Amino acid sequence: MRMDILDTVLRQVREIGADDWEITDTLEDGWEFYFIRHALDQNRAKKVRHLRVTLYKKIDGGAFLGSAGGEIPVTSTPGESQKLLRTFLSRAEYVRNPYYDLNGPREAQTDGIAAEADVEKTAEDFLRAMESVREDENAFVNSYEIFTSRVEKRFVNSRGIDVRYAYPSSMLETVVNARNREREIEMYRMIKGGSCDGEEVRRCVEESMAAGLDRLGARPTPALGRCPVIFTGEDAAELFNYFAFLLNAGSRYRGTSRQELGKDVVEGAQGDRITLRGLGYLPNSSGNRAFDPEGAPVRDIDLIREGRAVSYWGSRAFSRYLGLEDSFIISNFGVSGGTARREELFEGTCLEAAAFSDFQVDPVTGDMAGEIRLGYLYRNGERIPVTGGSVSGNLRKLAAHMRMTKEERQYDSVRIPCCTRLEDVTVAGCE
Amino acid sequence: MKTPFSAYLEGIAPGAKRLVKCLKERYEYVSILCTDSVGFRAMASQRQVSVTGETMTTERGCVVRVYRDGLYSEYAFDRFDPSRPEETARELCEVLDRQLALLKRSGTAIYPTGLMEDGPAEVRAFFETGTLPEECDIPALIGRLTALSGLGMKEGRDMVDVRATLQSTHISKMFLTENRDMRQSYVYSEGTIVPLAVRDGKTVHTYAGVSGRCGPELADQMEEKVFESVRTLEDLLKAESVEPGEYDVITSPEVTGLIAHEAFGHGVEMDMFVKNRALGREHIGKRVGSDLVTMHEGALCAQSVTGYAFDDEGTPAGDVTEIDHGILKTGICDALSALRLGTKPTGNGKRENFEHKVYTRMTNTLFDSGTSTLEEMIASIRHGYYLVGMESGMEDPKHWGIQCIVERGYEIRDGKLTGKVVAPLVMTGYVPDLLGSVSMLSSDREVFGTGGCGKGYKEWVKVADGGPCLKCRARLG
Repeated sequence: MRMDILDTVLRQVREIGADDWEITDTLEDGWEFYFIRHALDQNRAKKVRHLRVTLYKKIDGGAFLGSAGGEIPVTSTPGESQKLLRTFLSRAEYVRNPYYDLNGPREAQTDGIAAEADVEKTAEDFLRAMESVREDENAFVNSYEIFTSRVEKRFVNSRGIDVRYAYPSSMLETVVNARNREREIEMYRMIKGGSCDGEEVRRCVEESMAAGLDRLGARPTPALGRCPVIFTGEDAAELFNYFAFLLNAGSRYRGTSRQELGKDVVEGAQGDRITLRGLGYLPNSSGNRAFDPEGAPVRDIDLIREGRAVSYWGSRAFSRYLGLEDSFIISNFGVSGGTARREELFEGTCLEAAAFSDFQVDPVTGDMAGEIRLGYLYRNGERIPVTGGSVSGNLRKLAAHMRMTKEERQYDSVRIPCCTRLEDVTVAGCE
Repeated sequence: MKTPFSAYLEGIAPGAKRLVKCLKERYEYVSILCTDSVGFRAMASQRQVSVTGETMTTERGCVVRVYRDGLYSEYAFDRFDPSRPEETARELCEVLDRQLALLKRSGTAIYPTGLMEDGPAEVRAFFETGTLPEECDIPALIGRLTALSGLGMKEGRDMVDVRATLQSTHISKMFLTENRDMRQSYVYSEGTIVPLAVRDGKTVHTYAGVSGRCGPELADQMEEKVFESVRTLEDLLKAESVEPGEYDVITSPEVTGLIAHEAFGHGVEMDMFVKNRALGREHIGKRVGSDLVTMHEGALCAQSVTGYAFDDEGTPAGDVTEIDHGILKTGICDALSALRLGTKPTGNGKRENFEHKVYTRMTNTLFDSGTSTLEEMIASIRHGYYLVGMESGMEDPKHWGIQCIVERGYEIRDGKLTGKVVAPLVMTGYVPDLLGSVSMLSSDREVFGTGGCGKGYKEWVKVADGGPCLKCRARLG
């Protein structure tokens, strides 16, 4: 009988002379459906398996730890996998990084994390959810793509970890149109999650159509110079990625973050004081796992508490370089600390940034920018839809006056305040 | 030397042909794309060294496309026993039948599409290369990258680190149908230098890269990029914010490429025409740019990271003139979209890898050169900026909007560079306005291939773009 590739590779890594090793075996069973309006453009299925191996070698008597790895194709013969492993090992001997210990076995909190992962049922739920979206001749679905999968992972290492877990992962890409006699416009939305939350899908798509109708009647964004901007859509998550990056052990070790623990993450903060947590579980998140990709158990952890950095997070290597024993790679984040009610954030002349073409924050410099696809200008008691132009600024400076709502909203693996207000953002108009 | 074709693919070819034959009993059209691409990525900095056997395009697997009753379906898999193709055929039929049963239960209508042509073709395209990635001396390369990092640290001031990275991939692809047997192999490589500096509390970073359809010997070209990137850091450290507004600008070839790609290229991907998602469809035969603007797109346009012989649907690579002296001539098209639009495919059907669907995707997207020098172009501007360095862009084909994030701009006043630098910049506008404002082009041209391209926010593929320096009018924020 032919041996399974994992058994073969396990035997080979134990014998090859590596000081340590890690193997991740990932099986993915996926169904995909592509639509033009509500007619099926194409259906796809996939059944794939990826076996990734990293080999470690002590250098200079253990002062350094070299590592190298890659994928072993699952169709490899024993001879091919052996050759690849020898290549990895010979490369590892020249990769001189400071020594650290790999993760060892530890118990994980698994209650509530296991989720149903039935690709057929999830696909059916998406199909029915999209059919139930309320459309009319002025606002309707242009096209959508449904991706559902069941992922099964096994992580094994030389320190005795051997964990298996499965999780669902899904994605829905939607494009909706809004039109009047003069023109037609579109709005784009990507909805990610574990399985399908039909109600949430319908709500998001209908929100997109309502936004499209607003954009249809939007005026060109005026040149506002510097003004308050309130971020209300999913793009706001990008603001908080900046803070997660500051506390990432890899960023700190490489010098791309200079954030020290015990110090404020925002200099001279006069607004709300942010709390950022890594979360082991968020309802229907595609990031729910009992273990991280290196076999460390995942749990809730405070990274920033009321504006002050309290813990780094990240991969084993960088965490050990910073002297952290119990750290891990976080997949879910929660942001809180907002004190405002929604209406308090919309005081005075301000711009609500509801949708961007592609809003980005450079996590190293804090520079942020994005073209406005849909905004609302609040002026003299009016709420005027606007489009075009851009917002820009530096979040490192702008965060000093950041205010957030108490009310929060979840977007897949992040839960953030519904509204975040920054003062003195540069708004380039397009009138 | 000619790039060798994968021995693994040679080995499974007879089994893959039997799989096609077996499925042809049930389906009207059957194709299989088999891939086996290997490579490495090596990085060295002052704080870390890493080597992995994976790049953006390493893969081994197969994807079968079948057609019946107006519907195209696909099955992607990586466990294939060429001695028992009937097993894979059974698996494929079982899973696609389950999907069709679900679609029937949910009352889903089909978007009907015609039968794809399957004219005979036999291709063996094994491109010239230098060293193969699998034969690269990795220890020597790590030493070289470490030296480049050290050189950057020595050359720059207030440096935190310099990352030097080289990656190289040996691509092998085989496309089979009942009548076609197409095989290609080539090697492409990319090298980047990413320095980071902090001065007076201000952190800046940049990158400079080289790429090409060649082997890891590309590392020979990286040293000059160290000096270039360190100079850029000094400029970024003194940069100020731009006063938002509309300006005369000159785009460097890299920014020209970003415009070609984001502002225009995505807008003429014809799968978007099928969905009525691109304004370009209504502008075929109409003026979309000034008379100076001519633009080409195709894998044959440059020997770049995406210079292949045939695409992932077995269509030969092309060279399409998209804009000819300001007039939009045509777009680019994958094979299924071409069937739906009643046109010919252009060799632009690409997948992220065998697991992903084909979309119409760009390859080399390039503006043609003009006749001016950069000095003449600068001298023609009263107040504006010379834009250099691309950070990112986002397409908006439905409305032909532009979002390009540009690294920095050098102020021009009264025909001269003043030394003032502004950064970063977000360039926005309406494509026909921008292209319509092009009034000068430089006589040189550069092609850049170190980046990747997504369709929306997913489906990452290798692309290249570029052109000469352009003088045009743009809104900066």
